Amino acid sequence: MSRSKLVVKGEKYDSSDRVRADRTDLLYSHIPEGETLVSIKDLNVTYRTDEKTTVAVDDFSFDIKKGELVSIVGPSGCGKSTILRCISGLLQPTSGEILIGGNKCTTAGSDRGMVFQDFALFPWRSVRKNVEFGLEIAGVPKEERQERSDRYLKAMGLSEFADSRIHELSGGMKQRVGIARAMIMHPAVILMDEPFGALDAQTRNILQESLVNVLKTSSRTIVFVTHSVDEALFLSDRVLVLSKRPATIHTVIDVPGERPRDRASPEFTKLRREILSYLESQNTL
Amino acid sequence: MAVFKYDENNRRHRFIRTIVVTVVSLAVFLVLWWVATVLMNDQNFPTPDKVFAALYDLILNGDPIGGHSIWEYIAISLKTFLYGFGLALVVADPLGLLLGYVKPLREFTAPWIEVVRPIAPIAWAPIFVLSFGSRLGPALVVFIGIFFPLLTNIIFGVQRIDKNWLDASKTLGASQGQLFYKVVLPATVPYILNGVKVGLGVGWMCIVAAEIYNKFGGIGQYLVDMVNGGLMANAFAAIIIIAILGLLTTGVAEYVSKLVSRRMGMDA
Ligand SMILES: Nc1ncnc2c1ncn2[C@@H]1O[C@H](COP(=O)(O)OP(=O)(O)O)[C@@H](O)[C@H]1O
Ligand SMILES: [Mg+2]
Repeated sequence: MSRSKLVVKGEKYDSSDRVRADRTDLLYSHIPEGETLVSIKDLNVTYRTDEKTTVAVDDFSFDIKKGELVSIVGPSGCGKSTILRCISGLLQPTSGEILIGGNKCTTAGSDRGMVFQDFALFPWRSVRKNVEFGLEIAGVPKEERQERSDRYLKAMGLSEFADSRIHELSGGMKQRVGIARAMIMHPAVILMDEPFGALDAQTRNILQESLVNVLKTSSRTIVFVTHSVDEALFLSDRVLVLSKRPATIHTVIDVPGERPRDRASPEFTKLRREILSYLESQNTL
Repeated sequence: MAVFKYDENNRRHRFIRTIVVTVVSLAVFLVLWWVATVLMNDQNFPTPDKVFAALYDLILNGDPIGGHSIWEYIAISLKTFLYGFGLALVVADPLGLLLGYVKPLREFTAPWIEVVRPIAPIAWAPIFVLSFGSRLGPALVVFIGIFFPLLTNIIFGVQRIDKNWLDASKTLGASQGQLFYKVVLPATVPYILNGVKVGLGVGWMCIVAAEIYNKFGGIGQYLVDMVNGGLMANAFAAIIIIAILGLLTTGVAEYVSKLVSRRMGMDA
C-alpha cells in the first residue's frame, strides 16, 4: 500500500476525496471488530554483522484482531522488538510479509503508529506541538489540529502542560505525550515497545490505568510488547507468550474479565505464575 | 561585620563572583604587563599607560598618520567580517546539512575537506588579496576561517540526530522532505550555532592577518602602519581594539547559542 494513496471517501470528516493520513483507521472501517486486521505472515529476520549472523525471527506468523490489545511477552532478546519494527515498516524483514486489511505494507506510514520506550519526543516542540506533529505532517488545518489535540491532551491528563517543554516533564508525563501523539493519528494499529519500561513501578501502574481509561472511550488495535507479565495480564485481551530466540509462539492466552482488572484475583495470580515459570525455563542467562 | 557568604545556587552571587574574578584577573594582567615591559625596557614593548594614552588619543583624534577616524577602520573590518561570515553561513548551512544527510556524498567529499581544512586560513590571504583585491580578498579569508568549523559542526550535528526522532516521524507519516524540515533542520540548530561560535573566533584571527596585505584596509592594516611608523603604543592600542571586538562577537554568539539551545530544550 502506497502512502500517497491513502484516500478515504465519503466519511463524515470529508465530502471530497482527500488524503487522510491522519485517519487511516477509516480505511478499515469495513472490517468488523474481532476480525483479523493485521497479519504477520512467515516473518523471517536475520541480522548480519561482521562477527556473526543472528536469526532473530524464524517463520513467525500471527494474526491481530481489530480492536484488541495483544501483548507480547518473551525472554529478553527473543525478537519482540524485531517483530514490532517489522510491523511498523521501520525494519524490512528478510522474508515474509505484513498485511493490514489484506494490503501489504512495505514502508513505515501513519497507519501504524508507534510508542517508544525512551519516548522519542521532539524537545524543540512544546507538548501540544509534539502531539500535533502527525496532523501537521498530514496537512490538517490549524483549527482542527487544535481541537483534536485539546481532546487528546485532556484524555491523557496533559491539558495544563500543553505549552510545557518536554524536558520539564517527568518520565510518566513524557510517555503520556508519546501515547497522545500516536493516538491522535487514529492509526489502524498502534505498536508499543515496552512503553512503560523506563518508568518506576508506581508510575507504570498509573499509566496502565490511563491507557485502560482511554481505550474505554476509543476502541483501538494495539500490539504491546512488555517484559512485565503483570502488565500484560492487566492490559491485554490476549497475551502472546514467546519462546527464546528465534521466537516461536509458546501459548496464546485469552485473558478473562473486563478491564480494569483486579491484579490480585486468583485467576490473575494463576496465569501469572504459569507464564513466569515458562519464561524462567526459557531464560538462557 | 557582615560577612558575604557565597552561595553557588544563587544567580546573583554567581554573577557577582564572575565580575569580581574578571576584574581582579584583568588587574593582575595589567600589573604583570607593566612589570614585564619595565623589566624589558624595550621601545617595541610599551608600558600599559602609554598604550592606553595612545588608545584614548586614537579614539578622540583618529589615526596619527593618515588622519582617519578609528571608526572608519573598525567599520571596514566589520564589513569585511560580515561579508565573510554571511557567505560562510549561506554556503556551509545547506552544504553541511546535505553532507550530513547523504552518506555517499559525505564519503566522497571527506578527502577534499580533510585536505583543505588543516591549511591555516591565513595562508590563503596573500593569494586571495592578490587575485580578488583588497575588498573581497580579506572577506574570503574570513569565509575560509568560519566555513570549516561551521561545516564540520553541522555535519556532526546531523549525524548526532537521535534515530528515534526519525523513526517516530516516519510512523507519523513524514515524507523524506518533511523529515528534513521538521526534524533534521531543527535538531541541528544548536550545532549550527556552536559552529558559528567557533567560526567567529577563527574569523577574527583571520581578518587582521588578511588586512595586513591591504592598501587601505581595516584595523589590521592600521596595526601594520603603526608598526612600520615605529608608533608601538598605537600598535598595541590597535591590538586592544581587535581583542575587544573579538570578545564582543564571540560573546554575543555564545549568548545567542546558549539561549536558543535552552529555548529549544536541547542544552544537554
Ligand atoms: N540491529 C541489530 N543488529 C544485530 N543484531 C540485532 C540487531 N537488533 C537486534 N539484534 C539481535 O536480535 C535478537 C532479537 O532482538 P530484539 O528483537 O531486540 O529482542 P527483544 O526485543 O525481544 O529483547 C537479539 O539477539 C539481538 O541481539
Ligand atoms: Mg526489545
